[in-house]
Amino acid sequence: MPDNPLDIKQQKAVLSISDLSKFYIMGEVRVDALKHVSLEFYEGELAVLLGASGSGKSTLINIIGGLDVPSSGKLFFHGREITAATEAELTSYRRRSIGFVFQFYNLISSLSALENVQLVTEIAENPMSAKEALMLVGLGSRLNHFPAQLSGGEQQRVAIARAIAKRPELLLCDEPTGALDFQTGKLVLDVIEKVNRELGTTTLVITHNASIAGMADRVVRLRSGEVSEDRRNLTRMSPSELVW
Amino acid sequence: MKPLQIKLLRELMRLKGQMLAVAAVVACGISVFVSMSSVKYSLEASRERYYNRFRFADVFVQVKRAPEFYRETVSRIPGVASVSTRIYADVTLDVPGLDEPATGRLVSIPEYRTPVLNDIFLKKGRYIEPGKPEEVIASKPFLEANHLVPGDRIAAVINGRKKELLIVGMGLSPEYIYEVQPGSFFPDKRRFGVFWMSRRALESALNMSGAFNDLSLTLAHGASEKDVIMQLDNLFKRYGSLGAYGRSEHLSDRFIVDEIKQVGIQITFLPVVFLAVAVFLLNIVLRRIVATQRDQIAVLKAMGYSNEDVGLHYLGFAMIPTAVGALAGTLLGAWLGRGLMDIYSEFYNFAELVYYFRFEDVALSVLLSFAAALFGALGAVRKAVLLPPAEAMRPDSPVIYKPGFFDRDVLRNKIPVPVRIIVRNLERRPWKAALSVLMISLSVAILIAGRYTYDSLDRMVQVEFNEKHREDVTVIFNDPMPPSVVFNVASLDGVLEHEYYREEPVRMSFGHRVRRQTIKGIQSAEGLQRLVDKSNRRHSLPPDGIVLTSTLADILGVRPGDRLQIDFLQGKQLHRELLVSGTIDEILGLSAYMNLDALNRLAGDGGALNAAYLRIDESKSGKLYSSFKKMPGVAGIMMLKAMKESFDELIAQSMTTSTLILTSFACILAFAVVYNGARISLSERARELSSLRVLGMTRAEISFILLGEQALLTIFAIPVGFLIGIVLSALLARALSSELYRLPLVFSSFNFLFAFVVIVLVSIVSALLVRRRLTNLDLVEVLKTRE
Ligand SMILES: Nc1ncnc2c1ncn2[C@@H]1O[C@H](COP(=O)(O)OP(=O)(O)OP(=O)(O)O)[C@@H](O)[C@H]1O
Ligand SMILES: [Mg+2]
Repeated sequence: MPDNPLDIKQQKAVLSISDLSKFYIMGEVRVDALKHVSLEFYEGELAVLLGASGSGKSTLINIIGGLDVPSSGKLFFHGREITAATEAELTSYRRRSIGFVFQFYNLISSLSALENVQLVTEIAENPMSAKEALMLVGLGSRLNHFPAQLSGGEQQRVAIARAIAKRPELLLCDEPTGALDFQTGKLVLDVIEKVNRELGTTTLVITHNASIAGMADRVVRLRSGEVSEDRRNLTRMSPSELVW
Repeated sequence: MKPLQIKLLRELMRLKGQMLAVAAVVACGISVFVSMSSVKYSLEASRERYYNRFRFADVFVQVKRAPEFYRETVSRIPGVASVSTRIYADVTLDVPGLDEPATGRLVSIPEYRTPVLNDIFLKKGRYIEPGKPEEVIASKPFLEANHLVPGDRIAAVINGRKKELLIVGMGLSPEYIYEVQPGSFFPDKRRFGVFWMSRRALESALNMSGAFNDLSLTLAHGASEKDVIMQLDNLFKRYGSLGAYGRSEHLSDRFIVDEIKQVGIQITFLPVVFLAVAVFLLNIVLRRIVATQRDQIAVLKAMGYSNEDVGLHYLGFAMIPTAVGALAGTLLGAWLGRGLMDIYSEFYNFAELVYYFRFEDVALSVLLSFAAALFGALGAVRKAVLLPPAEAMRPDSPVIYKPGFFDRDVLRNKIPVPVRIIVRNLERRPWKAALSVLMISLSVAILIAGRYTYDSLDRMVQVEFNEKHREDVTVIFNDPMPPSVVFNVASLDGVLEHEYYREEPVRMSFGHRVRRQTIKGIQSAEGLQRLVDKSNRRHSLPPDGIVLTSTLADILGVRPGDRLQIDFLQGKQLHRELLVSGTIDEILGLSAYMNLDALNRLAGDGGALNAAYLRIDESKSGKLYSSFKKMPGVAGIMMLKAMKESFDELIAQSMTTSTLILTSFACILAFAVVYNGARISLSERARELSSLRVLGMTRAEISFILLGEQALLTIFAIPVGFLIGIVLSALLARALSSELYRLPLVFSSFNFLFAFVVIVLVSIVSALLVRRRLTNLDLVEVLKTRE
């Protein structure tokens, strides 16, 4: 439950999740990845999703992003039920509204930084230019470098540029710093924070690093597929102040 | 360009070796299809046009001599559209610059040019002028082979009198597209020619005024050839007819029809193999691409690319090399087709042999190759489309190693680690290994089948020109001669060995099956001519009864022990019954052999001879030949050597060309399969091999692991390929067999050796190419990337 009920009234829910469950059947064993999760995320919010390995973070974010479907429960995006969407509707939901950033950057190795971003601007409705997006993440001078010619942090920034170029309503980051060192990680978080602040994009960042939680408006913790904590930070720290 | 298209092109470039290999295989298949279909169509269309334009007849009959008014009678037979009568005669020629006598076939043409059946196409010079009996138009192959031109003269012995003929024109006729002397299979252009001459002149030279000895007719639409032939046989029996026949028994047409049929077989057979291999290659290459790009597929889908976008993108990996291959194949096919037509035009004398390159053929072949590409890509593309994006973010589930046969304790310690890795890999995916073996063995099989025709022709030459026929020349008489006359030939100075034979035209029947056939009465089966089958085995000749070529026995439906009904078409025209005492599986033509004495008895006459085989003293040949030229009754001679030469020149040349093409295509096929196999397994195992390197294995050891696997597959594939090749050759031999000839099934050890060496070389080359990549393997790079 949020600490300050008054705040909620002022904010609009972008995403509401009700009683969401997901299980996998592995032969005889049933793995419950998510158990009756109910949550709401609000416009412009920067939320951090914490939890141990295997607690269901990726499962949740994949369902939110329309990459996966829950076993039961409902998911609403701006009041539209995503869990009832057809394959084509899901595709257009991902195309229009969602920006994804993954732990392993997942850039297309045969495309340059610029072209990787253009993959998105090509199909989005009202994108910023690919160059603009790369400038935003501080890579204006590395436009024509291929992923193999970029450091991990730089690659992740390209991935962020790729995710935000379409001006998504929801930016979903699954352990964006997982593969990066401390300094580089901070740089990447800086960019995410900046995007959230400047573009007002509702942002969800998964991490199992609790110290990152300081930069968020809100911290949600998962334990064994259940929400074990949901709190708001009264003040948001800038990523450069974080220590871990 | 869109980023996805850029991605496609860049990645194709990165895989260019493999993609080019796929394109090359497609190109081979398409070029065979395009060239062969265009050649087939060109031959068919040229034949059709030629026949229509020059009114090639439908039914033919030769008689001894029949009154001209029968032309009227025949034209009233229901179903007959038009009739032409002619006079023809085979005469001895004295060709300037040629020692031996040549044979000329004189064929009458109207004095004033009017349209007739089997008309001539005047290639050079002019038509004969009325009132000039010495003027003739001669056939093109004969003139060219003897370097004669209109304006030259040539001497002929017509009806015992020597005459000077003036060549005024060079011509061709639909009757002689394949120009070959009677009784022979292979053209001897120098010693046989057709001469068209004024009917008036021939009438007076042969005492044939008011008569004809050759009649041909065209049928009205929908008429029954069989009925007309029956009527003709009734009419002309008493005029010494040997039976009327349709186009299917016309030697020249028969050759062309067979050729067209054979081209047709190649159209279906080869492209199917090549496209099947292309399907296989695209399948493994695309599966590999999709497997390595699981995460990219997930990302594309996460970005909002639809399943169709993703599917089309990966389909592009199959379509682009296929398109490149189809384009190259079409161009190559057009070029090959033209080349083949040039070879054919040396072989067959068409008025105009037009090369038609048809859009339909190209469209069909391109369509087929894209269907193949689609088929090959389907599995991988489906996988990419169906991949759930959340799933794809996780690496492919690791393969489960189960202890295999070679992991049993007994064996484990005796086998070195690299070998165990190889064997375990093959054991793990037996189907993939089996399919790879099959594909490599298909290229081996095509190599074998390609060289098989070569071996087969070699055997053909061996049997026909060395074993079966050992004479130097055959002297052919104008008319059947009594033995006493013929003995003069044998007593000439320079004749070392001689042997006579008799040829009797008969109608053979068994049950309801009837066939016109010549019985050959020979003195023995151990003399100059021997009975040799296609496996090069000798057969003996029983004193009584008849021995038939197996194909002829099949046509008649008889087996040794059956009794055949025989109607002699000449002389006393007796009806007889005859025991089939054996069959012989011969290479060329259809024959029926009897002991000469038995045939003489059966015919009920004192015996007559048609020709003599002679073995001669080379040093005395000149004198001998000039006495043949003067000898009355000698129609001409056939020289075995000349026939062998023409066989080598014409048939062997076209076969060598096609063998060359086939061999190069098989090499491409082998390379494509082996190289792709090695590249795929390099890509699959780069991580593992790098890890092994990091753990301290040497380059040589990891090369051994990777290439050893390919080597093992190749070693398995070679014997399998030999077997498939033998089966393929047998099928080919059967499909290409006709009444004209049967290909013997023989394989030289060189054939197998050749296939072996080619495949080993191809494997070594592709191993070297892959090894270069392996030694350049960037350990850090490979281990850094996530799989
Ligand atoms: N496809 C699947 N099949 C079976 N079980 C699965 C599958 N995907 C996830 N799981 C299980 O669901 C649970 C939650 O997985 P999830 O990936 O959401 O964890 P996570 O919190 O993201 O962990 P991490 O921090 O390691 O990424 C785990 O126990 C996992 O084993
Ligand atoms: Mg996770």
